[in-house]
Amino acid sequence: MKKFLTIVRAFWQRSLTYRFTILSYRLGEIGETIVLILMWSAVYEGQGEVIKGFTLQEMMTYILVGNFFNVLIRNFLAEVVGRDIREGRLSMFLVRPMGYFSYILSQEVGRISVSTMMSVLSQAIVIAFFWRAFLWNFDLLYLLVLVLMLLLAFFTELLLSFLVGLVAFWIDEIDGIYSTIERVRRFFSGGYFPLSLLPAALAQISFFLPFSYSFFVPAQLYLKKIDLMTGLQGLAVQTAWILLLLLAIRLVWKRGLRRYEGVGI
Amino acid sequence: MAAIEVNNLSRAYEYYRKEPGVLGSLKAFVHREKLYAHAVSDVSFSVEEGELVGFLGPNGAGKTTTLKMLSGILHPSGGEAKVLGFTPYKREKAYQKQFALVMGQKNQLVPDLPAMETFILNKEIYEISDNDFHKQSEELIELFDIRDILDIQVRKLSLGQRMKCELVAALLHQPKVLFLDEPTIGLDVVAQKNIRDFLKKYNEKKKITILITSHYMEDIKELCERVIIINKGKKIFDGKLKKLIEDYAPYKLIKVTFTGEGVEKYTVEAFGTIEEFSPYSCAIRVKREEAKQTAIRLLSSPLPVDDILIDEMKVDDVVRKIFSES
Ligand SMILES: Nc1ncnc2c1ncn2[C@@H]1O[C@H](COP(=O)(O)OP(=O)(O)OP(=O)(O)O)[C@@H](O)[C@H]1O
Ligand SMILES: [Mg+2]
Repeated sequence: MKKFLTIVRAFWQRSLTYRFTILSYRLGEIGETIVLILMWSAVYEGQGEVIKGFTLQEMMTYILVGNFFNVLIRNFLAEVVGRDIREGRLSMFLVRPMGYFSYILSQEVGRISVSTMMSVLSQAIVIAFFWRAFLWNFDLLYLLVLVLMLLLAFFTELLLSFLVGLVAFWIDEIDGIYSTIERVRRFFSGGYFPLSLLPAALAQISFFLPFSYSFFVPAQLYLKKIDLMTGLQGLAVQTAWILLLLLAIRLVWKRGLRRYEGVGI
Repeated sequence: MAAIEVNNLSRAYEYYRKEPGVLGSLKAFVHREKLYAHAVSDVSFSVEEGELVGFLGPNGAGKTTTLKMLSGILHPSGGEAKVLGFTPYKREKAYQKQFALVMGQKNQLVPDLPAMETFILNKEIYEISDNDFHKQSEELIELFDIRDILDIQVRKLSLGQRMKCELVAALLHQPKVLFLDEPTIGLDVVAQKNIRDFLKKYNEKKKITILITSHYMEDIKELCERVIIINKGKKIFDGKLKKLIEDYAPYKLIKVTFTGEGVEKYTVEAFGTIEEFSPYSCAIRVKREEAKQTAIRLLSSPLPVDDILIDEMKVDDVVRKIFSES
């Protein structure tokens, strides 16, 4: 535990030295949220009151609250892991008496904490800016399930990113793959538009994928477009995914490492 | 018991050949020819506790590969290695807490943080007690005289300063065995000497076992009594540095200085091959066994000899000769 905290603290400190980078990324994020809102406002002007069960106000809240959740949950671990493997820095971890998995996870938590806080702040400012359009939900039970869901989603995303990063064991040129996977993830998370705009079957499937829990499902839950029961089911799905991912990571890591070490040549 | 015990250690790398050009790339995309590079083949040696051994070889000889196997990064493809009784590739914590690997080309320091932060990270990772950490870090910081750079971001340090910090980070847990892969690469002569002096002192004081590779003969000459030389993955020499010179340098150098007017070149040419010449001093290369005789002949000749010195050939030249021969 002390190890974990020391690593988190060190990388927390590191990120503080990149204040400007962090700030400039936040500007992009704010811009993106605002563009989405403006776009949907324009769409609603042409289309009328309700699109697939979403009023304009709900849609705006979806975007605002969804992005707010998303900045809490996301991470950039895949690139970090990929680079460590490709550039051989992994070697320096393999000789130290601490597992790479726990080290890099703690590092990422520390690394993103400052930018996460800044994002939360900047997204909160955007929400405040669209105050009138924003729908509030103060239902404590909903909020409780929501917090749990976000927590699980945070870990799911970490594990997912770690797994994606491990691709670097087999493939040298990883940047293209990462950005493609990133787009697919974003699409299935509902970050571009609510997944309920998709054909019902697809939307249904997305409930059983891990991606929708970092945007779509929690935003829907917030909007009370899904009930508590479905929310609880979601938590079960997430837990299952976390276990599955841990298992997958174990397997892939083992095989990847064998390749890295060159076992059996 | 030997600290490092290596028996018939081998290591091959898998790689693919690709013909040049677009067509070659297309071909490789469909079918790749699998090839093996035998980076280390059948190498055996052992190193006693407290020894400081130089591990030499030209580029691509297999030095880094061997060190990686000894630190458990790579799995051997044949033979076995034991360090402190452990099998490295099993990566047992008990082993990892007792050795360290420093590579001149790869860092463990986090580039965006001050070195002190990495020291603290290592304290936790290696589970060093507060007391030990304090004592050991103070001692190392003192020895290297780096107190005033500890809170500067590592990437803003010079190469030499960084290497000192790397060494401190690697030694905090007081390893019994230290693997050094080109620790002085890219450093200026002063920084090189600093590192050398430190290693020498540290090895004597702590009786730590060190295996070091370097392309700088100064490092080897000053640090290592014993050297192991490999080339193309095979061991070709293992023994005292002095013996290396005796075995591989069939010549000695006789350095003569002359008084007065000096001499003409043809008058000394009869004694052996002239390596350097000026009217007042010259260096003559002669067969090892004839060195004494030639010196006597020189002294008893009418030449105005002022001083005479029989010297070994330079280590650099000897090693270069070995590399190019094998
Ligand atoms: N990952 C790899 N894949 C394929 N071949 C490799 C790999 N790493 C090293 N080799 C080959 O193995 C041989 C030994 O390499 P190694 O790095 O051990 O040499 P070295 O003695 O450390 O050389 P240098 O003095 O240049 O550092 C070389 O021929 C090299 O091309
Ligand atoms: Mg090397």
